Amino acid sequence: MDSGINMLCFSASYGIALALELSGLWARTRIGRVALLFSAIAGLVAHTWYLGRRVAEMPAAPLASQQDWYVLAAWALAIIYLTLKLYYPRSSMGLFLLPAVLALVGISRFATKTPLATFQAPRVWGQVHGVLLMLGTVTVLLGFLAGLMYLIQSYRLKHKLPTRGRLQLPSLEWLERVNSRSLGVATLLVGGGFFTGVLSRLAQQGEQSFVPWTDPVVLSLAAMFVWLVVAEGFRLVYPAARQGQKVAYLTIAAFLFLALVLAVMTWGDSLHLNADSESTEPPQASISTTILGLSNNGDLA
Amino acid sequence: MNLQMVGCTHREMGIDIRQQLTFDRSQTVEALGQWQSRFPDAELVLLSTCNRVEIYAVGVPKAEELIEALLDYQKVTASQVEGRMVTLADSKAVKYLYRVASSLESMVVGEPQILAQVKEAYQTAQEVGSTGPLLHDLFQSALRTAKRVAGETSLHKHRVSIPSVAISDLASCVFETFDGKHVLVIGAGKMADETLRYLRDAGDAVIHVVNRDAQRGQQLAKKWNGQYHEWDQLWEQLEAADLTISTTAANETIVTAADFEQKVAPGRYQRPLFILDLAVPRDFDSQVGNALGVYLYSLDDLTLACEKNRQTRAAELPAAETIIKRETERFVVEMNHRATAPVITGLREGLERPKDAELERLFCKLPNLDDQSRKEIEQFADRLVNKMLHPPLESLRDASQNGTPHGLLDALRNLFKLEN
Repeated sequence: MDSGINMLCFSASYGIALALELSGLWARTRIGRVALLFSAIAGLVAHTWYLGRRVAEMPAAPLASQQDWYVLAAWALAIIYLTLKLYYPRSSMGLFLLPAVLALVGISRFATKTPLATFQAPRVWGQVHGVLLMLGTVTVLLGFLAGLMYLIQSYRLKHKLPTRGRLQLPSLEWLERVNSRSLGVATLLVGGGFFTGVLSRLAQQGEQSFVPWTDPVVLSLAAMFVWLVVAEGFRLVYPAARQGQKVAYLTIAAFLFLALVLAVMTWGDSLHLNADSESTEPPQASISTTILGLSNNGDLA
Repeated sequence: MNLQMVGCTHREMGIDIRQQLTFDRSQTVEALGQWQSRFPDAELVLLSTCNRVEIYAVGVPKAEELIEALLDYQKVTASQVEGRMVTLADSKAVKYLYRVASSLESMVVGEPQILAQVKEAYQTAQEVGSTGPLLHDLFQSALRTAKRVAGETSLHKHRVSIPSVAISDLASCVFETFDGKHVLVIGAGKMADETLRYLRDAGDAVIHVVNRDAQRGQQLAKKWNGQYHEWDQLWEQLEAADLTISTTAANETIVTAADFEQKVAPGRYQRPLFILDLAVPRDFDSQVGNALGVYLYSLDDLTLACEKNRQTRAAELPAAETIIKRETERFVVEMNHRATAPVITGLREGLERPKDAELERLFCKLPNLDDQSRKEIEQFADRLVNKMLHPPLESLRDASQNGTPHGLLDALRNLFKLEN
């Protein structure tokens, strides 16, 4: 079922949409807006088709590998972009969201393509774990981008710079709301992802029933979760952190933790990845099992 | 075309005379009715706004008669308006109406209300029955041109009044909606009133007024369905406010940076506060703008923003002028061409009649012709008539580009013995 659609197809469409967003900084035309929308929709359709084909090839996809996981995260972010573009057609949010979409697709090129293991009871936990962490990642990214936009918009207003030019950003109130909510939602999702990972490990039988706390991916993810909890606690205790620039700073810090987790996961010397590489068979772990050091059949690698 | 425009605008006449010449809707209906009796064959539209009073007419021989009719109705003497009434005819009147509808002739270039006013003037004339085919086409094309200017240039997109820039361009960058926002008005100046008008259009904000003069403060609060507070509640109100508009006539700063830091900031927890300091001299120390979450705009900042917008609008003017020039040319050519229609019809009929007669004679002589042959002969005759008409019609069309070709029309009428 080779439809000829690959990552290059939707990356190119998103790339054209980004180029059109950039061109909007100089001149905004109706044709340009239609072309931008068309490119973004074409990219999303190709992206969806690609993921659909992966599901057809491998029932456990699109969480079958690190690569699929990144592509799925990019897809979720692309949907958010398109939705926002339809609601706020004059906004320049694409200048922030589309590079993030392309970055996720770009990183996926460096990620492993290990196929999904056969379905077992603990694998359900693994799937939930993977989905929650993917959504957590998208939420943290969204909060980070909203934070960046908040700081730019705030800077422009403070310094009396033109706000109704070609670079049109949402209001501070809207950005603060997205910022604030993304931080809260990300805490729940990352926490849920982390604990389902722990549970899936503990659900294993015998010697495998332990959590490899010293694994760099587990450590960095735990640090990120702790940071999110601390940030939420800080916001509860200190009213000034519930609004304005402080929320933006908190979401930017959360992104730094996320970047660390993703870097360790993709390029790090994880206990699980080492074991995979020593295996005589191709690597078989999904991203969910990779993060908490589970092999594809639930065994500790 | 015989189109005339007479009138006066804010450019030629002071407000005292303009006020005397202005028509409300009932007066417009009445005046158009009177003028219809005075000029029975004329088409008339009266456009009256606070900045202009203009009559557009077709079929009135002299502009002076229209001016007389206008002055008679409003009981204004000719000496009061001497040398200040504008009269334009034909293509100049067309172009002028396009410029008016596109707000290029407005006091604030690019203001959007004029388009609705032009539309209303035309609709009123339609209801009275004083319009005709030419004014119908003229006003339809004027509305179309104005929409083109609005859509294809950004002339209307940049606001140039201080309250509109303050609310629509700046405050909307801070607040997603004004519904339920705590708006504090310090002072009861005219600028506060104007800003509140824009604010009320933008959303359902909760207005709070603090003023030293309780009576004026209460009046303003009542007008905008807000709440008045005594002057000593200024700090509590500032602490609760989302948006502050300050327009007092105080001679010195009311809110210093130290006051803000000690009395307001601790209770706000860096919650965004948008301050419009529209007072001269300023009510807020400029250092207040350095506080976290505070966005302070003074009258100077807003004036600068308005000036930038004016410059941006000015840059759009050539594009708007080009659209108006092209649309005017198109309309004038169309009208000129329309004036040739009776001659064209006469020419065609003049050839069609002998053609039909000759065909009938031929078919009587050749009764055995089959249907196919008769059809071929008819088509031959049609083609011949069309080919004979083509050169004079083309000459008429070319001549119409530069005005109604009266000489050519007369020549054709004489040559082909056409009736007038």
